[in-house]
Amino acid sequence: MLESLQYIYAPQIINGLSIGVAVILMALGLTIIFGLLDVINMSHGEFYAAGAFFSVTLVAMGVSFWVCLLLVPLLLVPIGFAMERLLIQKVFHYKDRHILTLLLTFGIAMVLEDSYKIIWGANPIKPSAPISGASEILGVMFPNYRLFLMGFGALLILSVWVLIYKTQLGAIVRAAAYDKDMSSSLGIPVMRVYALTFAFGVALAGLAGVLLAPIYSVFPTMGRDFILMAFSVVIVGGLGSIKGAVIAGILLTQLQSISSLYISPVWSDPLVFAVMVLVLMFKPTGLYGSMKNA
Amino acid sequence: MLNPRSRAIRFIELLLLTSAVVLFIVGAILGDTFFLRLATEALIFGGLAMSVDLLLGIVGLLSLGQALYFGFGAYLSAVVLKEISPSFLLAIGIVALASLVLGWVASFIALRSKGVYFALITFGLAQVAAKVVYNTRSLGASDGMMGVPILQIWTPFGSLDAGQPGTFFVITFLTIGGLYALLKYFLTTPMGSLWHAIRSNEDRLPYIGYKSKGPKQVAFVLAAVVASVSGALYPMLRGFVSPELMFFSVSGNAVVTVVLGGVGTLIGPILGSVLLTSFKSIIGTWTVHHHIVIGIIFVVIVVSAPKGLAGLLVRRFSKIRSPEGGE
Repeated sequence: MLESLQYIYAPQIINGLSIGVAVILMALGLTIIFGLLDVINMSHGEFYAAGAFFSVTLVAMGVSFWVCLLLVPLLLVPIGFAMERLLIQKVFHYKDRHILTLLLTFGIAMVLEDSYKIIWGANPIKPSAPISGASEILGVMFPNYRLFLMGFGALLILSVWVLIYKTQLGAIVRAAAYDKDMSSSLGIPVMRVYALTFAFGVALAGLAGVLLAPIYSVFPTMGRDFILMAFSVVIVGGLGSIKGAVIAGILLTQLQSISSLYISPVWSDPLVFAVMVLVLMFKPTGLYGSMKNA
Repeated sequence: MLNPRSRAIRFIELLLLTSAVVLFIVGAILGDTFFLRLATEALIFGGLAMSVDLLLGIVGLLSLGQALYFGFGAYLSAVVLKEISPSFLLAIGIVALASLVLGWVASFIALRSKGVYFALITFGLAQVAAKVVYNTRSLGASDGMMGVPILQIWTPFGSLDAGQPGTFFVITFLTIGGLYALLKYFLTTPMGSLWHAIRSNEDRLPYIGYKSKGPKQVAFVLAAVVASVSGALYPMLRGFVSPELMFFSVSGNAVVTVVLGGVGTLIGPILGSVLLTSFKSIIGTWTVHHHIVIGIIFVVIVVSAPKGLAGLLVRRFSKIRSPEGGE
């Protein structure tokens, strides 16, 4: 009993956690963008891929991986900012802007994905892990990089939470999400806040890409496999909720990794999806409300 | 005098009908295979786009997973043709009935949600189904199913050989045309008016004494049937099916087609599919990266002309005035 717990469940739980941290980083970007702008960013997975590709290129140019962790998100901020300003804000005033912005980001995703194919080719690139070796925990070996990923990811998630809920900047963002007209009349440059928040969410996705590139391979459609999980997490947690994204992220990835001990991994995706449908049936807006109301 | 919108729709209908007749005659004289088969494919994917438009343009529900029903129709039709009998009517009949049931079951899951949630749920449903098919050995897994026999189609005037590209083009044209006529008929019924009402303002519907659930369910099931029947034609043309038919790229392409052709016109998507398929074929001769071009066109359309080509035609027709000044 204790042995199966140690050798079968523990590795699965820890591996699930390292995926969970990455999924949460993706989901946080999605949920912040939706919470403030009401935009479903279909190109989120492509920004995740952008982060991975940028870091591969920079590392090949001799830049250290640790510098990339800072540099790549900073490179993505102006791209995200420009995209929001030049494209998304153009359709923002329409009545069915939910659908229009979704379509728009979907078109952007198409363009980005094909650009990656042109620039980097369609074949997977496998970067080496910046931290090698493995450590023993409870008698089981774990790659050091995965352990770092979990610690660093948890730190990041915590800082995002502090940023949104404990700083003045976060208060501005939440105020703009709650009532944009009132915030605007109080002197908040709402349009700039929108663009910056979008850029911030996109940069988070890029950072997730940098972090995960050494674990999974880097290829143009890498975002697609990930985005369904991130969307499920956001829906279960409640669109626009940070707390929900974290809790649902851990729950769903644990469900996926533990269930794959018993059933074929092919069926673990339908299982996660079934949980999402069940949550929607009983709580149509997800487990937690939007960040507007916090 | 018809209003500009109906005139634009009539114009596209006539344009497509004329091009089809011209293509068929020229193709028959020159013995062409390539263009007839390309046009057939455009019509098949046009049928899929039409089902997306029924949901998006008429009822206001964005489906990002319509490829689920398209792929379902294609696989089921391939199975029927291979295992039971290579009969056109049997395959279409079975697919229509089965998709009715599938659409009805799926509607209970998908219609629990609204707006963006609906889009994401349909997206997820299709992704999951694609993954399961991709890993199911008995359906050929990632290879799909090959060797679908060439059809013999029974008619009162004797049997037709669907292996002839011209013959199968006409059959596809009639099938997709029939689906279009069916949907157009629905729009003239009270149900059609309710769909428009849901799109305009769903919350107000109960105020005038209607529930929105029933009409939405009918539209959803109808869209599933239209997509599946279109999909059923695919293995008849190509002789194989593959799990790629259920992938998101197919659903996404259908949405692009609808937006390009004109949301809410039903015929616009067919025009969009013809243009997009020809465009891909032309551009495909010198680059594999057609997505980047299509993506850019799509983004430009969404930002500058959200009503698509049909919308541009409507604008054009509303500017033209008859010399007598009477509208």
